[in-house]
Amino acid sequence: MYLADLFAAGLAIGCVYSLVALGFAMIIRATGIIHFAQGELLMLGSMSALSTLWLMPKLPAVLVLACGMIASGVLAVAMEFLVYRPLRLRRVPLMNVITATVGMSILCINAARIVWGSEPLRYPELFSSSTYRFFGVVVSPQLVWIMVFGVVLMGLLQLFLKRTRTGLVMQAVAQDAEVAQLMGANLTRMMIYTFAIAGMMAGAAGVMFGSLFFSFFEMGFVLGIKGFVAATLGGLGSLAGAMLGGILFGLIETFSAVYVSSAYKDAIGMVMLIAILLFLPSGLVGLWKARS
Amino acid sequence: MESALLRRIITGVVLAGLFLLPVFEPHQFVLHMLSLVAISATVALGLQLLLGFSGQLSIGQAAFYGIGAYASGLLSTKLGLPFPLAFLAAGLIAALTSLLMVPVTRLTGAYLAVATLGFSILVYLVLKNEEWLTGGSFGLMGIPRASLFGYVLAKPAYAYLLCVSVAALVYLSLLRLERSRFGRAINAIRQNEDAARACGVKVTLLKSQCFVIAAFVAGLGGSLYAHQVRYLAPTDFTFWKSVEILIMVVIGGMGSLFGAVLGAAVVVLLPEALREVGDYRMLVFGAILMAVMLFGESGLAGFLGQCLKPFSKR
Repeated sequence: MYLADLFAAGLAIGCVYSLVALGFAMIIRATGIIHFAQGELLMLGSMSALSTLWLMPKLPAVLVLACGMIASGVLAVAMEFLVYRPLRLRRVPLMNVITATVGMSILCINAARIVWGSEPLRYPELFSSSTYRFFGVVVSPQLVWIMVFGVVLMGLLQLFLKRTRTGLVMQAVAQDAEVAQLMGANLTRMMIYTFAIAGMMAGAAGVMFGSLFFSFFEMGFVLGIKGFVAATLGGLGSLAGAMLGGILFGLIETFSAVYVSSAYKDAIGMVMLIAILLFLPSGLVGLWKARS
Repeated sequence: MESALLRRIITGVVLAGLFLLPVFEPHQFVLHMLSLVAISATVALGLQLLLGFSGQLSIGQAAFYGIGAYASGLLSTKLGLPFPLAFLAAGLIAALTSLLMVPVTRLTGAYLAVATLGFSILVYLVLKNEEWLTGGSFGLMGIPRASLFGYVLAKPAYAYLLCVSVAALVYLSLLRLERSRFGRAINAIRQNEDAARACGVKVTLLKSQCFVIAAFVAGLGGSLYAHQVRYLAPTDFTFWKSVEILIMVVIGGMGSLFGAVLGAAVVVLLPEALREVGDYRMLVFGAILMAVMLFGESGLAGFLGQCLKPFSKR
């Protein structure tokens, strides 16, 4: 009973981490940048969706999610267009681009603090408040819908990348930008698509997390790092790894918060991060590849 | 005039000016702020060695700063250790803790940044949760003022002189280090790690040495902070502090020791000078961080260098 509750909560928060991790993985694959402002995209998406809800309280949950995704997607494209692209064009070392993303993250956090204030903001009930029963287990509708949305979004992304022409070109650019360009891929446009999708994933994660807990101007920082932990756990730069890593990390964190220590809940992720980077740098995907 | 000589003269004049400042009996608050600048400059100098000289980006210096501060505070309140001993112990404890993290220096570039950031969050959680040791969220109170050989530095001017002397000492030692064989070797590592390794530079060893030295210096800065402010709270050592230290180095100019000091002065004093923009402070710093990356990494020090050029010939 209790175990099943924890499992559902772990899966739901895992979906949030998976979406953030996917954004990290896509940007790393395409540009090599570790995008420190990924968590801030999440926060801004969450805040924008909440503001839309204030204006239109009757908006259905799907549209709220879409609002968050669009807001974060647009912001991510703006970041790429206004900052990261000029940096790349100036052939600045990668390390400096990454430092600039730290700057972007600081800028976003403080802009959000000025716009939305520093108090945590509660989401109204997005989903029906009656509980669902699965095989005698009572699960809150929040968790169920977050899992449904998370899985649908990840499925759509996979379909887009595997089945559409644009998706395939994006994969090609991620594998070898120069060759893809010689074959006629439009690099600039693909970068913009990459950032748009990464932003949309973060925005969706933001709305989900906001509806579970609350929105908060600093929420993105720790969530961003946890998304990064999930991405490294799965194997950096691997999309399947990012999804798997997110869900696994969500479960690990939820269970260890209960059975190990709740005060050190955030510490578990950080210890895992350092350990994975040192001992298993290619993540679970690397482990699996080495076996087969 | 030769540029090296010019630089030496400027350094001398600035140092003399800083040491003579208390003679003019400025306001207590001014001295306190300048002491804080000196403390921040000490920590920033450590990061400059790590980032500017050896090219390792650490977003976790606040961890060692915090460890130094708490170590010094605890040793002097709970064990009654005299300041000079607590001061040295703070540096050593920070350096020892950094030894735990030394394996991460094998990581390159951004992975090192994320790992150190993770460590910084870890240390913050320990400071916050281990109430029996650190006092938890209530903080650590009643830290005595710094004292030298039984003489308490009660006047702000004396505390100021202590902070400035430590900062100056660190500055001059790192200046020596920069021009030594060690300095040339880490410079080579920053420019091209593989080439440096091929030339027989012990890359891993030197990188970890830089990491430990930076932590040691941050620990010393933390000790000074503990005895200057005399109250420590975990919130003083969050990831924001790490980011602030990084901003000092980047604004001042990567690879320039003088830049690190300048950056520390800007980051500490600017919010005081422009009180109205208090809320926008970090907003502005974030934008500056991006702008410096966009328009060249030499920062304020590079800008000053350009201004001085007409006066010096090669």
